[in-house]
Amino acid sequence: MLRDQAMSVVFDGSPLNAMQSSHTHTPLTVLSGQELSLEIKSFISGVDTVQGRKLSVREHARCAVRLLRSVPACRGAVLEHLRGVYDEHVSVFLLHLETEGDGSSGISSNLEDIIQEVHGVLSEFIRLNPRAWAPLVSSWAVDLLGQLSSKHAGRRVAPHSSSLNELLQLWMSCAGTRSLMEAYSQCLAAMLAWCPDACVDALLDTSVQHSPHFDWVVAHIGSAFPGTIISRVLACGLKDFCSHGTKDQGLLVNGVDKGSRVPKIGSVVGILGHLAAHHSDSIRKELLRMFQESLSPSTPMSPTSSSTSWEGSPQLRRAAVPFLLQLAAMSPNLFGAVSAELVDLLRPPVLLQLHSLLQGLPREELDNMLGLAVHLICQSPSGGARVLRFLADTATPASVIISGPMPSPHEGVREGCDSLLQMLLLHLHKLVYNRSDSADGHPHHLASPQPQVVIPFLEELQTHVSELCAETLRLERKRHLWLHQLLCLLSVYGGPSVATEALCQLLTQARNPEELALAWQLHNTLSSCLAGLIPSAVAYCVAQIHTHTLGPRQLRQLLLNLATVLQSQDEDRRGTPDAQSTMAVQVGSAVSVHLHDFSPLLLHGDPTVSHAAVRLLSASPLPRTASPAHLLLLSRAAVAHFFLALRRRGEVGKVGRDGGQAAEAVSCSVQLLSRFAAYSTLTLKAVLQQLVEGVLHKGNAGLFGGQIADMSGAPVPSQSGSLDLGASLLDINCRFGTTVNFSGSVWSVFHAGVIGKGLKMRTDSPQPDPSGVTLNIQTLLTVVVQCCSSSGLNGSRPPADPDEPPPINAEAAKVIAVTLVENVCPDVANGELSWPPEEHTRTTVERDIHIRRCFEAHPVLFTLLQVVAAGRPALCYCSAVLRGLLATLLAHWEASREASSADSPWHLRASCLLVSCMGEGQLLPPVLANVHEAFSHLAPFEVRLLLLAVWEYVRANGPMPQKFVFNPDKGLFCRDFSRDGDVARYVSPIHSVLHKNIDRLGHLCWRFQL
Amino acid sequence: MGDIRQSLLPRDVLSAAKELLYHLDIYISNLVQSGRQPPQVDTKTLELVEEFILHAPKDRSRMSALQELQLLEIMCSCFQEQSRDTVRQLMFSALFSLQGNQADDSRMGLLGKLVSMAVAVGRVPILECAAFWLQRTHRAYCVRLAQVLVDDYCSMMPGSVPTLQNIHSASPRFCCQFITAVTTLYDFTSEELIPPLELLQMIVSWIQDDPRIVLVTFLNTPLSGSQPVSSLDLTPLGGLVRWCVKAPLGYRRDKKQASVHCSSEIEQEVSGLFSALHLSVLQVFMLLPNLLKEKGIFGRLALLQMDSLASLTSDLSRQLDQADKHTQISTADIHVLTQLALDRLAQALQVAMANGALLCSRGACVYPSSDSGTRKTLGVQILLRLSVISRKLNEGSVFC
Repeated sequence: MLRDQAMSVVFDGSPLNAMQSSHTHTPLTVLSGQELSLEIKSFISGVDTVQGRKLSVREHARCAVRLLRSVPACRGAVLEHLRGVYDEHVSVFLLHLETEGDGSSGISSNLEDIIQEVHGVLSEFIRLNPRAWAPLVSSWAVDLLGQLSSKHAGRRVAPHSSSLNELLQLWMSCAGTRSLMEAYSQCLAAMLAWCPDACVDALLDTSVQHSPHFDWVVAHIGSAFPGTIISRVLACGLKDFCSHGTKDQGLLVNGVDKGSRVPKIGSVVGILGHLAAHHSDSIRKELLRMFQESLSPSTPMSPTSSSTSWEGSPQLRRAAVPFLLQLAAMSPNLFGAVSAELVDLLRPPVLLQLHSLLQGLPREELDNMLGLAVHLICQSPSGGARVLRFLADTATPASVIISGPMPSPHEGVREGCDSLLQMLLLHLHKLVYNRSDSADGHPHHLASPQPQVVIPFLEELQTHVSELCAETLRLERKRHLWLHQLLCLLSVYGGPSVATEALCQLLTQARNPEELALAWQLHNTLSSCLAGLIPSAVAYCVAQIHTHTLGPRQLRQLLLNLATVLQSQDEDRRGTPDAQSTMAVQVGSAVSVHLHDFSPLLLHGDPTVSHAAVRLLSASPLPRTASPAHLLLLSRAAVAHFFLALRRRGEVGKVGRDGGQAAEAVSCSVQLLSRFAAYSTLTLKAVLQQLVEGVLHKGNAGLFGGQIADMSGAPVPSQSGSLDLGASLLDINCRFGTTVNFSGSVWSVFHAGVIGKGLKMRTDSPQPDPSGVTLNIQTLLTVVVQCCSSSGLNGSRPPADPDEPPPINAEAAKVIAVTLVENVCPDVANGELSWPPEEHTRTTVERDIHIRRCFEAHPVLFTLLQVVAAGRPALCYCSAVLRGLLATLLAHWEASREASSADSPWHLRASCLLVSCMGEGQLLPPVLANVHEAFSHLAPFEVRLLLLAVWEYVRANGPMPQKFVFNPDKGLFCRDFSRDGDVARYVSPIHSVLHKNIDRLGHLCWRFQL
Repeated sequence: MGDIRQSLLPRDVLSAAKELLYHLDIYISNLVQSGRQPPQVDTKTLELVEEFILHAPKDRSRMSALQELQLLEIMCSCFQEQSRDTVRQLMFSALFSLQGNQADDSRMGLLGKLVSMAVAVGRVPILECAAFWLQRTHRAYCVRLAQVLVDDYCSMMPGSVPTLQNIHSASPRFCCQFITAVTTLYDFTSEELIPPLELLQMIVSWIQDDPRIVLVTFLNTPLSGSQPVSSLDLTPLGGLVRWCVKAPLGYRRDKKQASVHCSSEIEQEVSGLFSALHLSVLQVFMLLPNLLKEKGIFGRLALLQMDSLASLTSDLSRQLDQADKHTQISTADIHVLTQLALDRLAQALQVAMANGALLCSRGACVYPSSDSGTRKTLGVQILLRLSVISRKLNEGSVFC
């Protein structure tokens, strides 16, 4: 080939040298016109015009590159030809991958070689003259990339378009696409300086055309130029949006496209969506920046703002907010990125700007935007609570009284927020109810349930139910109405679980009837669509109690609120039943199921909680069926609480609020016990048994005027002081005093005191207040009598006379009797009912003494005995106790050398009470029973004589229950003494004593007439 | 030719275009042979050209770049092989005469590529035809053609400048018209309209080699006085004077934004080039009297138009205003550059007037339509210079 040496003038610019040095294999000598003409012919025909043979792909490509360098007019054709070369390269590459490299690698590397050459030439051109080449090459490269991506998308080795990373990996490992990508990046880098919009436009267009196969390109470019691409993409989208007008808005929200014209916003969303994975931060910043700048007061076109920036155009600025809304509506990702921080941005000044901006918009557009905003809020997956708070805060009318942390917002802004909130509620209402309608309205759909419409806003708020409830309960002007409405919607949306939680929260947090009324309003709204709400709410509360999630205050409030409801039921029972009362009934039945769960709360450490619990339990109806274990548990707790309540009443006294509360607690407790005892035989027995045991428990002895005697056999202290209940040191000393070696210690402590200091002084327990003791005994008596006389056991027979107290039930009395015997008698030896001769008491001295001490320690035993006596023939079962006590009394009076029986006051009183009880219990005929009236006037030996007569009578006429006959008229068992032996012989000692002391006992003679 | 369309329709785009070219050739040959004066290609044929070669109707599939290249290649050979100038010219104008319709854009595109290719492969007949086209066409389109060539050979392929440089020897007519078009295009009114360095070098070398090159069109054109409206000037002299006068202040403005990298060297080179150009222009002016007298039109034909001078002075005064506002350049520099610009203008005016290229008095050329104060002072300055120069000339001293 001829080289026109004359024309090969070496141009004196440095770029040329660079070109020559970088591509030595393509000598840059200027070819003559003739040669070029031949080259063109070869290129067109694909045949070497000199040698007449077909050109290989490689030679053809080389020829093209030569033409690219020397004949500008061929540029388009060459680039078009190179498309084919790249395409072939990619095909070979993919084929190679598919066949896992069985040969053909030669072709691949061959073409790779030429592709590198082409890439070198192109990148050199771009470097030398970016302005001329970058637009050309970038559009070519992007188009070609799009074409290649689409064309080969279906190949076996090509991953699915959704797996972007794999796609990226595949294409970047292919030399051809990589080189195109690099070329494009280079162009972009060059073009960003002066016409960024154009190149991003091209990118967007191609992306639209080849989506989704082209996404990897956008993703790659985007991550290479995140800052610029993001802002440019946004700016492009904004311009397009603006030029489109906003008329498509409504359609797009509903996912309906016009089809023929796809606005760029779709690809904007797609691209930003891809970038969001790695650059969500910059995207968020960019979006927020756009928002802020669109609001900031417009400045006149500054000299620095280029023609590409949108900030300068008022029209674009106006469109920015709608555009961003639209963008957010189309991409949950973007919306999620922005929404969190957007609320923080909406400070009053910004709101004012927004307000003034929006005022300029036409009505229809405003409505559109409002609808869009509402839609977005509904779709917001996170931050809903903050949005809601913001809206409510801003929309709440300014108040003179309540001045929040923020200055009261502008009136227009407030109204805007108000209407937004209203629309939001309306929209949610529609969504929620349409949703359930479609589920309920077509039963045949239930077989194949359609996926429920998910409302992210409500989804998210479900986790904030408690805050919502708290806000609602603040009862602030309009706000609580909104929030209450929202709670209803949320409950309907979330189904039973949310509704339950909401109701439960309201129940827990309400502090007064007005607030509690909100709970009923909620229930009334929901009861139509959600069944079984109350039981589940109560169950939820119980669960919370079990998990200890509630603090004492909340717990107390919850219990009190429940109790209030139950009490309203009682009130309404008298009046006309309404919705609330039916709900109260429901609550009652729900609570009754869970009584055993509430029972531990009776013993809660916080008195207010236990008080609330007893109020609830006393007001609650009892369950229809319950397991014995639960009943026992409940009875134990109730009895324990009873004593606690008594103790507390004694501690706080009667004055003040606490006193009133303590008194109320006691009365509630009494009510609870009596109602509970009436529930069933089992509960009756349990309650009575535990009551008796509780009374005899040494911890409770003080309540009823008892004193704890030292039962351990230690020397009886001379003084009448009783031992301290909580004297644990003493206990320890008692136990260890003999075993521990204290040698060497000065402070050797014995159970009796410190050596060298004499006997340890018995600490006096605080002498119980006698009036308190009386009150306590009264209360106890009330409980016991109420339990024993409850109608449940006496059959269905109503008391004959309403004024007359109902009779003591024999069975109940027997329970008390048996329990007493069990607790008072130390052993069961000689436990038979019939009495032995008086001499035999010598064998049971120790036991009898124990029994006496018991009576000494627990004066209340006599009261209990009286109750037992009233429930004939129960006293028979106390035979052993009576016998023991009588034996010790006989011994006392025998040994006593006092002048008068009144000198032994306790024994006198005990003797009187004992005999009167036996009389009441009809163990003694009335003649004998009356002897106690004379005791106080007699000498000790005379008392003994009379008591001996009693003994003898009982020995002869054993206290057998079978001797009693039920008298249906009175509803009582009675003993017919005429069946027993003659009383007269037992009466003779009485008469003797009467005679002897006729001066003093004359007035009593009529009492002992047979 | 009505039946031709039917025969072309089923063909693919390329073969249809080839076929049409073939028919066009025959048709025009017949037209010329028939001897009808003036030979006129009928509109039906023009429509066929638009349909099958330019693909003006949008619904027809356009040619791919490769097919277009083939077509260009065929056109090249076709024009090259046509032996009769008249037929060639007629064909060229049938293909590329602007019709003022929507096909003009694709016509210009194809023409640009054809000329660019002709430059590359040295097809002289096409260049001659193009030179003729440049004479007959509105200057806006001529400028577009020039732009294509400059882009192709100076901007995009810096290595191929020598190819373009060849047109000087291949077709002086085209070269001359190209210079005229280029000087019209690059008028220093914006950054994009400052001539590239490569172009400047090329033009300076052309004119230095042969100053007559700028007069080729003028010399070869019969003075029928039927210049089409708004066509290019007969000679590039006006444009070249504008370049020389505006360059000192205009080029500087560009340099401000260019990278500092070797900018001073380039600046020196550029100023040297413009000085050389100025000298060459003056030399061309000096050639004029003889040539004009040969043609017998001395003093009757103004090669330098008054209105172009008027716009030049107003541009210059605007440039001076702007230069004052530039803070980057020292006032001393501005002063020197202003003096240079004014000197050049005065010299050109003086020499042009003296050699019959400018037909007016000193005052008239200085105050063509002066109204503003700046321009008046400018006019006074120029006038002052003119008198100084004329005195120097009278004394026989040499300028520059």
